Amino acid sequence: MSTPDKKPMVGRRAPLVDGIEKVSGRAMYTADLDHRGALVGRILRSPHSHAELLGVDVSKARALPGVVAVITGDDCDKPYGILPIAQNEYPLARDRVRYRGEPVAAVAAVDQKTAEEALRLICLEVRELPAYYEAGKARQPGAVDLHDDRPGNLEREIHHEFGEVDAGLSAADVVREESYDCAEVTHVHMEPHAALADYDAERDRITLHSVTQVPFYVHLRVAQCLDMDESRIRVIKPFIGGGFGARTETLNFEIVACLLARAAKGKVRIKLSREETALTHRGRPRTGIKLKIGMTREGKLTACACEVEQTGGAYGGYGIVTILYAGALLNAIYDIPAVRYDGYRVYTNTPACGAMRGHGTVDVRHAFECLLDTMATELGLDPFKVRRLNLLEAPTRTINDLAVESYGLPECLDWIEAASGWNVRKGALPPNTGLGIACSHYVSGAAKPVHWTGEPHAVVNLKLDFDGGITILTGAADIGQGSSTILAQVVGEVLGLDFDRLTVIANDSRITPKDNGSYSSRVTFMVGNAALQAAERLKAVLVAAAARKLEAKPEDIECLGETYRVAGGQDSGIPFKDVVSEALVDTGTITVKGTFTVPREYQGGKFRGAGVGPSMAYSYSATAAEVSVDEVTGRVTVDKVWVAHDCGFAINPLSVEGQVQGAVWMGLGQALSEETRYVAGLPVGPNILDYRVPTIVESPDIEVKIVETLDPGGPFGAKEASEGALSSILPAIANAVHDATGIRLTETPLTPDRVMTALVKQERAAKQANSRGAA
Amino acid sequence: MEYLPDFDLLRPKTVDEALALRRENPEARLLAGGTDLIVNVRRGIVDPKAVIDINGIADLRTITSPDGGGLRIGAAVTLAELLEDRRISEDYPALCEAAAEVAAASHREVATLGGNLCLDTRCLYYNQSEWWRSANSYCLKHRGDVCHVAPSGKQCFAAFSGDLAPAVLVLGGTVEIAGPNGGRTVPLGEIYEDDGAAHLRLAEDEILTAVHLPAAPPGRSGYAKARVRAAIDFPLAGAAIALRQEGGVLEDLRVALTGTNSCPILIAGTDRLVGETVGEEVAEKLATMLPKQIQPMSSTFTPPGYRRKVVANLVRALFRHLTEAP
Amino acid sequence: MAKSILRLTVNGSGREDAVPANMLLVDYLREVAGLTGTKIGCDGGECGACTVLVDGRSRLSCISLAHTCAGRQVETVEGCATDGRLSLVQKGFHEKLGSQCGYCTPGMIMAASGLLRRNPRPSEAEIRAALSGNICRCTGYVKIIEAVQAAAEGTT
Ligand SMILES: Cc1cc2nc3c(=O)[nH]c(=O)nc-3n(C[C@H](O)[C@H](O)[C@H](O)COP(=O)(O)OP(=O)(O)OC[C@H]3O[C@@H](n4cnc5c(N)ncnc54)[C@H](O)[C@@H]3O)c2cc1C
Ligand code: SF4
Ligand code: FES
Ligand code: FES
Repeated sequence: MSTPDKKPMVGRRAPLVDGIEKVSGRAMYTADLDHRGALVGRILRSPHSHAELLGVDVSKARALPGVVAVITGDDCDKPYGILPIAQNEYPLARDRVRYRGEPVAAVAAVDQKTAEEALRLICLEVRELPAYYEAGKARQPGAVDLHDDRPGNLEREIHHEFGEVDAGLSAADVVREESYDCAEVTHVHMEPHAALADYDAERDRITLHSVTQVPFYVHLRVAQCLDMDESRIRVIKPFIGGGFGARTETLNFEIVACLLARAAKGKVRIKLSREETALTHRGRPRTGIKLKIGMTREGKLTACACEVEQTGGAYGGYGIVTILYAGALLNAIYDIPAVRYDGYRVYTNTPACGAMRGHGTVDVRHAFECLLDTMATELGLDPFKVRRLNLLEAPTRTINDLAVESYGLPECLDWIEAASGWNVRKGALPPNTGLGIACSHYVSGAAKPVHWTGEPHAVVNLKLDFDGGITILTGAADIGQGSSTILAQVVGEVLGLDFDRLTVIANDSRITPKDNGSYSSRVTFMVGNAALQAAERLKAVLVAAAARKLEAKPEDIECLGETYRVAGGQDSGIPFKDVVSEALVDTGTITVKGTFTVPREYQGGKFRGAGVGPSMAYSYSATAAEVSVDEVTGRVTVDKVWVAHDCGFAINPLSVEGQVQGAVWMGLGQALSEETRYVAGLPVGPNILDYRVPTIVESPDIEVKIVETLDPGGPFGAKEASEGALSSILPAIANAVHDATGIRLTETPLTPDRVMTALVKQERAAKQANSRGAA
Repeated sequence: MEYLPDFDLLRPKTVDEALALRRENPEARLLAGGTDLIVNVRRGIVDPKAVIDINGIADLRTITSPDGGGLRIGAAVTLAELLEDRRISEDYPALCEAAAEVAAASHREVATLGGNLCLDTRCLYYNQSEWWRSANSYCLKHRGDVCHVAPSGKQCFAAFSGDLAPAVLVLGGTVEIAGPNGGRTVPLGEIYEDDGAAHLRLAEDEILTAVHLPAAPPGRSGYAKARVRAAIDFPLAGAAIALRQEGGVLEDLRVALTGTNSCPILIAGTDRLVGETVGEEVAEKLATMLPKQIQPMSSTFTPPGYRRKVVANLVRALFRHLTEAP
Repeated sequence: MAKSILRLTVNGSGREDAVPANMLLVDYLREVAGLTGTKIGCDGGECGACTVLVDGRSRLSCISLAHTCAGRQVETVEGCATDGRLSLVQKGFHEKLGSQCGYCTPGMIMAASGLLRRNPRPSEAEIRAALSGNICRCTGYVKIIEAVQAAAEGTT
C-alpha cells in the first residue's frame, strides 16, 4: 500500500468507487432487491382529470382471494409536499382528483395478476368538474379552483424589481421584446420508480428501500403520512438509476408502499411501469416567457423585464421554488443594472411538475440568450462581444443580493471561441449549417435548505478502526453523478491515502448521518466541505498519535498517508497501521464528524422570496454548437458541441466531463425532440418512443473544457458541475439554427415540423418581398 | 414480473403444421420477431389465446434465387439477415435502405420481413396502455365506438408505419401466401386496404410465407424516411422510388409511400411521366401527384400537415438523388 | 398458467426450469434464474436496458418469450467476467466512465460485446449503429463510445 510518489487524490481522473458493481451487474437497484415474501403492490389511477371523488368502492377487490390489503384516501388524511408551506397532496386522493393518473387506491396481493384483477374491481363514483390543461385557461375568470386556498389557480405570483427598470429601458438605444414558449419536459431516468416497504408488525417499524435522491425528506413524509414516530422508520437508498430532479421530493408511491405494507402487515414491493413513472412526473413545466431587453448601440445591457408563466400541474411540489429560481437567476451571470420579474405559477389538471436539472433556470436562460443573439444580430455585433461587454467582475454582489465569489465566464468564452474556430468559420460554413453560442450558470447548492432547522447544511462521519480502513458515512445520495467517489477523493487527499483504504457507505438512515439529499447541485460543495473538515479532524487525531509514538510535537509531524514521520528528520517514520494502533489506545474505534454550514451572509436578501437563488458559489458555462438543418425534412442535427465549464476546481476531471456532457446532452434533447403533451390531460407519449430521448446515433460529440477558478468557499475550490451547462445548449442550438437558415424559432423543441413551418413561412415571405420588389 | 395474459405457445416446424395449428386455434396470433406483437400484447391491444411461433419453420428462414431469376425471401428472414445479404444490397437497394431504417439494431436482429409487412397500424390513441385507453373510452379500432382522430366518422385512420412495404412495392414484389386451400401469390399491394382497423386482407388462417422480388431491373432504387430521431422512430412518412432512365429519359418510374395512410400507397399515374426528360420539372410533376392520393390524419403527435409536406419533399429529393449521376 | 420445461444455456451453464408459456425472457432471467443484472427500463422494446445476447446476437429480453430461447445460448452481464475479472468491455465502461448511474450499463455492455465479437475493430459509426437501441440518460453517450473504442483496442 505504500506509494512514495503518490498521485494526488483530488484532480485525479478516477473511475467511480462503485463502478465495478455497475459494470458487473452486481449493483442492486430497488427492483433487484430480495423480495421473497413480498406482496405485489399496484396503484389504481384516476381516469378523470378533475372530479369530486364521491366514493371509492373497494369491497369487491377486498373479497378477491389473494388480495391482502386495499387502501384508499381514507387511509391517510395527512397531506404532504416538499415545501412546508405548500403541502396539498395526499398519497391517495381524498375528496377530489385533479389529474388523470392520480393515485386513488392501492392493493397488495399475492401476485401481479391478482393485483391487476383487484384494481379492475374497484369502482369510483365521481362528479366531473371542468378541467384545465393550460395555464391561460386555468387563470381565466370563472375557472373552478383546483385548490380552494388558491383563487384563480395561481399557486404563486411574484413581482420583483431591482434597480430602475423603466429608466434603464428608456436609456437604451434598442429595446426588443419577444415571447418564447418552451414545452414541458420530463426526466426519463432510466430506472422506473420502485419501492420496497417492509413493516414489522411486532415492533411497529418500517424499513423502506426507495429510488429517492432525498432519503431524508422521504423519511420525514413517510413518518408524517403514516403518523409514526420518525425513529420507527428506516429509509435506505440502494443503487438508483438516475434522478435528474424527479426524485428530489417524496413521491406518492413511496408513501403508498409504506401504507400498504402496514395495512398488509408485511412486505410490499411496488414497481411502476414506465408510463406510471411518466405520470408521477415532476418535470420541467411548460413555460411561457415574455422578455424585454434594453441595450445600448455598443451592446451594453441597460435593463431587463421578464414575465414568466409556468403550467405547474395539479399540486404544489417544488412549484414556488421553480418560479422563484426563474426570476432570481436572471441575475448573477451578466452585469444588468435593472431587472424586473413577474412570475406566475399556475395550477392545471395535469401531473404535477417539479424540479428538473437546471431547476427553474433553463427556459428563461434560453429566452435571454436567444434575445441577446437577436439583438446582437440586429446591431451588427458579434455575439461574443456582446457577452464580453456585460461580464461581471468577481467578487461582487448582484442587485438581488447574490454573492459571486468566483467567475470563470470570460475564460469559458475564450475557449469556445478558439475551439469552435468561430472567428474563421462563422459565416463561412456551407449552406444550412451554422454556429451559435450561449452562456449559463447555476447554483452550487441552495444556501437556504428546504427545511430550516438550524442544523448544519451537511454532516459527514468518518470511522477508523483496528483494521486501518476508513469508512466514510454519508447521507448524500449518489444517483450516478459520482458523489461517493468525490467524497472518497476529498478524504483521501487530506489523509494522503488512496482508494483502497476508503469505503463509502451512503444512505441508510440507521447508519449514516442525515443529509438533505442530491439536489440544487449541493453535494460536492456542501458535503464535500463537510468531508474535508471530517478528514482534517481525523488527521489531527492521527498526527497526535504519531507524535506520541515518535515522541515529537504534533506540529512537527509530517503525514505522508501511509507513513507518518518527523518533518525534516532522517527517520523513515512509522507506518499508518502503527499510527492507527496508537490512536486507538484508550479510545478504541475512532469516529469523527465534519460539518458544513453556509454563513448567514450568503443566505440571501431580506425581500419575500429571497431564499431562492442564493448560493455560496455559481458555476459558469459557455457553449458553442454547430448544426445542420435538413431542408427536405426540417430536421436539425447538432454536429458538434464545444462547452467550457467553470466548476471552480475539478476534484475528478473524468466525472466533471461526464457530468457536463450529460447535462449538455439532456438540454440538447429538450432543444430538439423532447416534449410532454397531453390530450385532454392524458400524456401523449408516456414512454420512450414518443417521448423522444435522443439516441446514440444523432447525439453529437461534446468536447468539454474544464475551467478552474478556485472558488474561495468550495472544497479545494470546487463548485457544481452537473447542471449549469444544460441551459446554454438550447439557445446555442437555436442561435446556430438562425445562423444556418435565418429562421428564429421561439418555441422549443425545434422539431422538424416546427422548423419546416418556419422555413415555409420564410420562403413565402421572401417570395412576397420579391414580387413586391418586382412590382 | 411483467403482466402478460395467459396464452399457449405453439412452435410448428413446417408451414403445414402452422396452418393446422391456425385452424385449431382460431384466436391464435403468429409470432415472428415479436417486436410488434409482444409490445401490443403487453399493452393489452392484442389478447391472443395462443401464439404460434413461426421461427422454427426452416422454409420461412431462407433467401433463395429461383431459376426464373429474382429472389425469394422467406417471411421469417430477419432484417439483420436482409441487411447482410449482398444480393439484396446490390440489386434491391431500396429494400436494404428501408430495412436499415427500421427501429434499432437490436430490434432488427429478430424483426422479420413478414412481420414488418403485416405490422399493425399505429395511432396515438391506440398504442397506449390499457389504463390510458380505458380512461379515454377506447376507440373504434379496439373496444370502442368513436374515433378520436375523426370523431364524426366511422372509419379508423391509424397509420400504416412499416418501412419495408413501399420498397417492396416499387421493386414489384409479390407475396406468397399459404392458406387452408393451398397457396396464392399476389402483388404486395393486394394484401392491403386503406382502413386502419382492418388494413390487412389476409384471412385469419393464412400465413405470409415469402416475398418474391422479380429479377432486378437495370435501374436504381432507394428509400427515404422522415423522423425526429435517427433511430427508434417509426416513419412520420417514408418514400421509396424505383426508376430506370436511358439517356436522361425516364423509362420506368414507381413511387410508394408509408406513414401517410392506413396502408402503404403505390402512387398511381407515375407511368405518365415515362418518356419525359429527368429534371426539376418532372420532380415537380411527381410531387403534385401526391396530395390527392394521400391522407395523413392526426394520428401522430406530429401534425399531419407536416407529414403531407415532408412526404412530397422526400419524393422530390429522392427522385433528384436517383436521377443524378451515381 | 401451465408451465412446461425450458432447456437452455445461460452464461455457459445448462438450465432446466418449468416456465409458463407467457413468461418473458427478462422475467425468466431476473425472477427464475436470479440474474438481476439485466434491467427493465420501459414497458416494452423502447430502451435497450434489457439487452442480452442470444447465440451471440443482441436481443431485447423484455419483448422475447423465454420459451423461444429453448436450446439457445443466452448471455447476460453476469457472464461477462472471467475468473472474477472484468471483460475488456466492462473494463472500458468502468475506466472511461461509460457508466454513471449504471442502469443502462448491462444492456450497453451486452450490445457492445455482441458487436465486438462480430467486428473487433468497429468504426465510430458502427458503434453508434450497434448501440442505436440502447438509451442512456446520464452520459450523453460520448464516454460510452470511448469505452467501446477502448475495449476494441484492448487498451483500457
Ligand atoms: C421501439 C420500436 C421501434 C420500431 N420502429 C420501427 C420502424 O422504424 N419501422 C418499422 O417498420 N417498424 C418499426 N417497429 C416495428 C417492428 O419492430 C417492425 O415492423 C418489425 O419488422 C416487425 O417484425 P416482427 O417479426 O418483429 O413482427 P411480429 O411482431 O412478430 O409480428 C407483427 C405482426 O405481423 C403478424 N405476422 C408476423 N409474421 C407473419 C406472417 N409470416 N404472416 C402473417 N402475419 C404475420 C403478427 O401476427 C403480428 O400481428 C418498431 C418497433 C419498436 C418496438
Ligand atoms: S384513428 Fe381513430 S379509430 Fe383508429 S386508432 Fe386512432 S383513434 Fe382509434
Ligand atoms: S426494457 Fe427492454 S427495451 Fe426497455
Ligand atoms: S448511465 Fe445512467 S442511464 Fe446510462
